Amino acid sequence: MFWRILFQMLRGSRGRLAVALVALISGAAVISALINLDLDIGSKLTEEFRTLGANVVIAPRDVQAGSQPNSQVTAKVDASSGADRNAEAPLLMNEADVLKQLGSVQLREVVAAAPYLYIVSRAEKTQVVVAGTWLDQALKLDPTWKLTGNWVASREDQTHCLVGSGVARQLHLAPGSSLELSYSGRVAQLRVAGVVNAGGADDNQIFMNLPVAQQLSGLSGRIGLVQLSVGGTAQNVTGVVATLANALPDYEVRAIRQVTEAEGSLLARLRLLMFSMVLLILVLTALCVLATMAALAIERREDVGLMKALGGSISRVVGLFLAEVGVLGAIGGVVGCVAGVALSIWMGQRVFATAISVRWEIFPLTIGLMIIVALAGAAPLRMLGKVKPAVIFRGE
Amino acid sequence: MATVVQVEGLRKQYGNVCALDGVSFGVHEGEWIAFMGPSGSGKTTLINILGGLDTPTAGQAIVDGTDVARLDEAGLTRFRAEKIGFVFQQFHLVPYLTALENVMLAQYFHSTTDENEARLALERVGLGDRLKHLPSRLSGGEQQRVAVARALINHPKLVLADEPTGNLDEANAETVIRLLRELHEEGHTILMVTHDPEIGQLADRRIDLAHGRVVGISDYSAKGAVRFDR
Repeated sequence: MFWRILFQMLRGSRGRLAVALVALISGAAVISALINLDLDIGSKLTEEFRTLGANVVIAPRDVQAGSQPNSQVTAKVDASSGADRNAEAPLLMNEADVLKQLGSVQLREVVAAAPYLYIVSRAEKTQVVVAGTWLDQALKLDPTWKLTGNWVASREDQTHCLVGSGVARQLHLAPGSSLELSYSGRVAQLRVAGVVNAGGADDNQIFMNLPVAQQLSGLSGRIGLVQLSVGGTAQNVTGVVATLANALPDYEVRAIRQVTEAEGSLLARLRLLMFSMVLLILVLTALCVLATMAALAIERREDVGLMKALGGSISRVVGLFLAEVGVLGAIGGVVGCVAGVALSIWMGQRVFATAISVRWEIFPLTIGLMIIVALAGAAPLRMLGKVKPAVIFRGE
Repeated sequence: MATVVQVEGLRKQYGNVCALDGVSFGVHEGEWIAFMGPSGSGKTTLINILGGLDTPTAGQAIVDGTDVARLDEAGLTRFRAEKIGFVFQQFHLVPYLTALENVMLAQYFHSTTDENEARLALERVGLGDRLKHLPSRLSGGEQQRVAVARALINHPKLVLADEPTGNLDEANAETVIRLLRELHEEGHTILMVTHDPEIGQLADRRIDLAHGRVVGISDYSAKGAVRFDR
């Protein structure tokens, strides 16, 4: 009988309840969309930040790494010195040693990793920064690179290189051009596979596979640093840094703070904004339900008086009305949640150009929130508990 | 015959207004009592107190062994559910429940619902074909018959009817009165407020009230009514 009465109450007051229901559906839709975005935005933002390049570096202990990997360890040798300073390069690391230790750590979060050796070489009569690395990892480490020509697909390729767009302009290079680099009397003959447009310092560098740079500089088996791209949240990155620092105690392992902190800071601000909006929407929804319920409570005074006259206890009678509001909240929560998920997917495509994953936990969360909001908004129904049947029947 | 209602020195004060001023009388089980008197004489207040809808300022109102004046809110609620069947002048049906559901509502607050029993109650008052009708689709007389069925569904000790024909045309009023007579013949105790002297004479006794006091009791139960004026 409880559900029968409840159904008839909902049906009987559907006009007035529709106002509260619309408010609850709207509130639930926006809240579930925001919560879904919030739960998924961490990984989406992380994906976005990963496109900014490497976020962890491994460097010699006494190197004060800057924020940009490319400005970190340019080997303290240059073409003009005319001397092979392999033995005098304490700020370089032993490639085999680092890679062996790195290989002993299995980290799923590491998306890409590559050793780097930076030298200042001479091309024609111009000094140019040369980065020796694993070119097959270059795109993974710097997904935003735009290339004219071809990638160098293998790290074994010792005949091709990539040149930054600035260098290409300066030296009049294009894909297919020949390039001669000299360093301390050693010469490397390379062909340009592609021109890189990175929109930063990389545009002024030449990228070749590591063995070529090592041979050219005479720094065989030496590297300046290792760059890693670590997936996951800022916390994940910090965790990976700690793990690597333990595994490689002789080296400095650090996050590139600008990227990591920007990510963390942006996430924190977004979360605060979303939390504030969710709170505001909850309050507004409750106020809308409150206004509807206040009017409904006045309408229902006579019904409550009658139910009490028939022997209905306060808890049973008010319970009926609260259940009505609770059902309303649940319906609003379910319908709104479905709309909210669709909204979050749409927003995800608009903002991140990618589909936001549906987080199923938002369904119970939103429905629960809407029931609580509806019950909070049903505060005026409490006055029904004080209704005196005799007073109602007297028409007062 | 057992006394089912015993009222002694009953007073009810609303601010400076004295609605009941030392009312005393007794009602035997199976009796049909008609309360009569001008507006404001305290008839409805008396019925409300006996039905546990209101509480007296002073005095006793013992119904089936229970002093209504001593009951708290929860006790009054239980008392109404178990011992009283109400029939109001304004019918007071829940507008969004069907005739059947209105009767079952009384069952729901009393104990458990029995749809079949509720249907039989409505069939008895001639509404077997109106079970699924909302009150808005029933005539005044039909609504009052639903109210009578609802009043009887829990087999109350006392049926309290406040102007049960006050809002009905003559034909419907006759139907309702016929129902009350049948209930009386079956042994129900009925306390009825009415303005209509003809209906009042159908009762076993008529208690006249004025200014909150009993001013006369007429006994119609014996052949040749006897009037005891006070």
